[in-house]
Amino acid sequence: MYLSVENATKTFGKFTALDDVSISIEKGEFVCLLGPSGCGKTTLLRIIAGLTETDAGTVSVEGETLSNLPARKRGFGIVFQSYSLFPNMTVAENIGYGLKIRGAPNDRIAARVRELLDLIKMPTLADKFPAQLSGGQQQRIALARAIAVDPRVLLLDEPLSALDAKVRADLRGEIRHLQRSLGIPTLMVTHDQEEALALADKIICMNHGTVVQAGPPEDLYHRPATRFVADFMGTSNLIETDVIRRVQPKLLQTRPNGADAEYIACIRPEHIDLTPDAEGPATVRDISFLGNLKRLDLDSPLGPLQVETHGVDMFSPGDRLSLAIAPDHCVWVRDDLTGAGA
Amino acid sequence: MTQATLPRPIPSRGAKSARFDGDKALALICVGVPLLGLVLFFLYPMAIVFLRSITTADGAYGLSNYAEVLGSSGFWRATRHSMVMGGATTLLSVTLGFIIAHGLYRCAFRGKRLIRAVIILPLLAPSLVQALGLIFLLGRNGLVNQIFGIEMEIYGFWGLLIANTLYALPQAVMIIGAALVLLDARTYEAAEVMGASPLLQFRDLTLPAARFGILNAAFVVFIITITDFGNAAVIGGDYSVLATEIYAQVIGQRNFNMGAVVGIMLLLPTVAAYAIERRAMRLQGRQPANAQRFVPSFAPLRDLPMAGLSLLICLAVLSVIAIVFYASFVRLWPYNMSLTLKHYNITLAGGYSSLWVTTWISLAAAAGGTFLVFLLAVGLRRAPAILVQPLQVLAAMPAAVPGMVLGLAYILTFNSTATPLYLLYGTAALIGIVNFYHYHTQAFLTVMTGFRQLPEALEEAASSLGAGLGRVAVNIIAPFVAPMLISVFFFLFMRSMVTLSAVVFLTTPDLSVAAVTIMRLDDAGLTSQAAAFSCAVMAVVVAALFGMKAVLAYLGHRTGSGSVG
Repeated sequence: MYLSVENATKTFGKFTALDDVSISIEKGEFVCLLGPSGCGKTTLLRIIAGLTETDAGTVSVEGETLSNLPARKRGFGIVFQSYSLFPNMTVAENIGYGLKIRGAPNDRIAARVRELLDLIKMPTLADKFPAQLSGGQQQRIALARAIAVDPRVLLLDEPLSALDAKVRADLRGEIRHLQRSLGIPTLMVTHDQEEALALADKIICMNHGTVVQAGPPEDLYHRPATRFVADFMGTSNLIETDVIRRVQPKLLQTRPNGADAEYIACIRPEHIDLTPDAEGPATVRDISFLGNLKRLDLDSPLGPLQVETHGVDMFSPGDRLSLAIAPDHCVWVRDDLTGAGA
Repeated sequence: MTQATLPRPIPSRGAKSARFDGDKALALICVGVPLLGLVLFFLYPMAIVFLRSITTADGAYGLSNYAEVLGSSGFWRATRHSMVMGGATTLLSVTLGFIIAHGLYRCAFRGKRLIRAVIILPLLAPSLVQALGLIFLLGRNGLVNQIFGIEMEIYGFWGLLIANTLYALPQAVMIIGAALVLLDARTYEAAEVMGASPLLQFRDLTLPAARFGILNAAFVVFIITITDFGNAAVIGGDYSVLATEIYAQVIGQRNFNMGAVVGIMLLLPTVAAYAIERRAMRLQGRQPANAQRFVPSFAPLRDLPMAGLSLLICLAVLSVIAIVFYASFVRLWPYNMSLTLKHYNITLAGGYSSLWVTTWISLAAAAGGTFLVFLLAVGLRRAPAILVQPLQVLAAMPAAVPGMVLGLAYILTFNSTATPLYLLYGTAALIGIVNFYHYHTQAFLTVMTGFRQLPEALEEAASSLGAGLGRVAVNIIAPFVAPMLISVFFFLFMRSMVTLSAVVFLTTPDLSVAAVTIMRLDDAGLTSQAAAFSCAVMAVVVAALFGMKAVLAYLGHRTGSGSVG
C-alpha cells in the first residue's frame, strides 16, 4: 500500500462531505474516484493534497503520516479542471516553477522543461503565455508542470471536464500513456464513468460521502455491488425481484438469499438477445441510432427495457419480438436507493 | 525518457521539522501590520475626536459641548445648508450623470472617448478648482459678465451647487455606468422580439436594473457634497455648511472641542448614507457569467438628443476647468487679457515647494498604502474565518469618515504630547498617512475586487508545487492582481495630490501641501496665481494618469491576454 487514507471524515456545517472513508493506492497504480457531484470525491482529493483539513482520519504515504503537513511540503503534483496555469508566467516558467522553488540550478530547470515539453509534444511553446494557448494545450502544460518535480503522487481533479470531446479523448490517451511510462501513482477525480473505465486500474465509486464499491473497472461494470453503481456505471435495466419471479423465474438462480426489496436484478442492454417474433411479448417503442450501434426502447413484461444491438436494420417501431437473457448475465445488486440494502 | 535518472528534488519534506510553520507567522504579519495601522491611525484618532467632543471646558466629561452646539443658530443653519446642498447636488448630479452614462453605454454616437476623457477632469484637480473656474466664468469679473453684461451673484448657494455638481459628476457617471453596462443584451433582444417599444424597454428593463446603481450614486454624491471643503471655502460665501463650520471652529476660534462636536454631527449623516450605500451596492445584481454586452445601434430619435445633452454637460465641465487654465496665463484678469507666464512665478512664501512636497508625500502614501492593502488582502485569505468579516468591516470604515473629521481627529491625536505619536506631528509622514487612511476603503475594495477574480486553484497549484505563502504572494498573487495594485497606487497618488479636507488641519507654516497653497493664494487675492498653481497640480496628476495607462497597457501586452483591466 503506497498511499492510504484511513477513516477520513469531513463536514461543512451540516453537510457531511466525507463519512469515514478509507482508500488506498498501490505503487504505480492509476485510481479513479468516480461519483456524482457532491459525493465527496473532490473533498477526498483535496484532503490528500493537503488543501483541505480533515475532521478525523489520516493520510499516509509509505507509512509516513501526512495529516499535519501543509500542501507545499507534501511533494505531490496536482492538475485542476480549470487549467490554473500562472497567467503571468510563460509556459517554460510555469513548468519550471516547482523546480525553482526547490532551488534547482537554472540549467537543470531548462533541461527538464525541454524534456517535458518534448514529452507532451509541444516543444515550440516554451515562451508563450497561457492566454495564448488553447484549453487542451494549457491542460497539457498543467500536466507537465505537475510532473516536473517527480511528484510522489499525481492528483488530477476532473482534468478533462472543461475540454471539447475530441481534445478530451486525445488528452485522455496521453495521460494514460504518461502515467504508465512514468509509473507515478495517480488519483483522478471524475464524474465521467467512461473516462474512469478507460483510464483506471482501480475505480473507487463514491456516493453521499462514502465509498460504495472499489475494484477493477471490469468488476464495477460487470459485477456492480449496488443499484447505485449499476446505474452510475453505464446503462442498465434494473428490475424488481417479484417481476423477475413472475416473468423470467430462471434468472432467480443467481440471486443471493434475502428479502425481495434487498436485491434487484441488473441486466446490461447489450446482454439481451432479441428475435423477431410476431407473437412475441415485447414491442419496439423507439429506436435511437448511435453510430456503431442502435439502442431500442422496448415495452415488455419486464417493464420498459433498453437494449443495444449491432445488427442491421432488423426492427422498426411497433415490431413485436421475443427476448432471451442468459442467467449469468443477470447480476443481482443490493438496492441501496430504497434504503433496504447495505 | 530520462525521468528516472533525475534525483528527487524535494528536500523540504519532513513532518518532524514542521513544528514552526513559517506560513502561519507570515500570515499573522500580513494581517497584523495593516491592522495595527488601522487601529493606530484610524480607530484611535476617531476615539480621540469622540472623547474631545464630550470633554467640557473644565476638562470633565459631559454633553455640554453638544448642548451648546445644538443650541446655536449657526450650527442649525450650517446643518440645514449642508442637507439642502447635499440634496440639491445629488438630484442634479445624478440626473446629469445618468444622462451621460446612458449616452455612453446605451446609445450610439461618436465621440464617447472624448466624453469619457472630459468627464473625469474634475477628479484630476483639487475640488476648489471647480469653484475657481466658476468665479472666472460667472463671477463679477467673470467672462460672462464681461461679454454679455449679465451680473450674477455667484458666491453662495448657486455657485456652490454648480461647483459641487460638477465635482461629483465623475463618480455619478462611473457608478451608474457600471450598473448600465451589466445589463444583458439578450434580455433586450427578448423584449424586442416580444414587441416592446424602445421606450417600454427603457422603462421596464433599463430603469429597474439601474435603480440600485442610481441609489448608490445618489448616496455617494451626497457624501462627497456634504463632506467637501474646498468648493465651500472658495465659493460658498455666506452660505455656511458643516465642513466650513468645523474649519471656523478649529482654525477661526481655536475651539477644538466644539470642532469635534460639529465633526461628530457631520459624521452621523455620512455614516448613515454610507451604510445605505453599501447595502444598495450589495443589492445590485451581478452580471450573469454568459451575459452578452449590449451594442446599441443608431436610433436618431434617441441618440441625437442624448448626444446633444452629453455634449452640453461636457462643455460645462470642460469650460470650468479650461477657464482656470486660460486665466492662469492672463496678465490682469479681466482688464488686461494679454497672455503671460508671470502667474507661474508663485510669490507666496515657499513658491512651488509645496507642490514637490505634495508629490513626494503622494508617492510615499501611494507606495506604502498599496503595499499595506495588498498585505491585508493576502492576510485575509489565510486568516481564521471569524476574523475575516470584522477585518473587512474595519477596512471599509474610513470611507464613512469625512476628510475634515479625520483631519481634525489627527490634529487632536498627534498634536498632543500625551503619547510618543506626537513625534509625527508636523511631519510630511503624517500627511501621507492621513491621505492613505482617508482613501483606505476605496484602495482596499479595489484590491479585493482583484483578489476575488483570483482562482483559488492558482494558489493551490503553487502550494502543491511547494510554494509557501511568501512565494505565492510574490510570484502568483501579486502579478495576478498587478493591474489592481497599479490602479490603487495611482488612485492613492492622485487623491493625495489634490485632497484638501483631510490635510487642511495638518499643514504648518513650514509644511504646506498643494491644495492648501491654492486656497491660501486665493485667500490672499492672488487668484491668477491660484489658477496657475492649480494647473501645475493638474499637470502632475495628468502625467500620473498617462503613466498608469502606459503601465497597464504594458502589462496587458506582456502576457498577451485581455484579462487585464
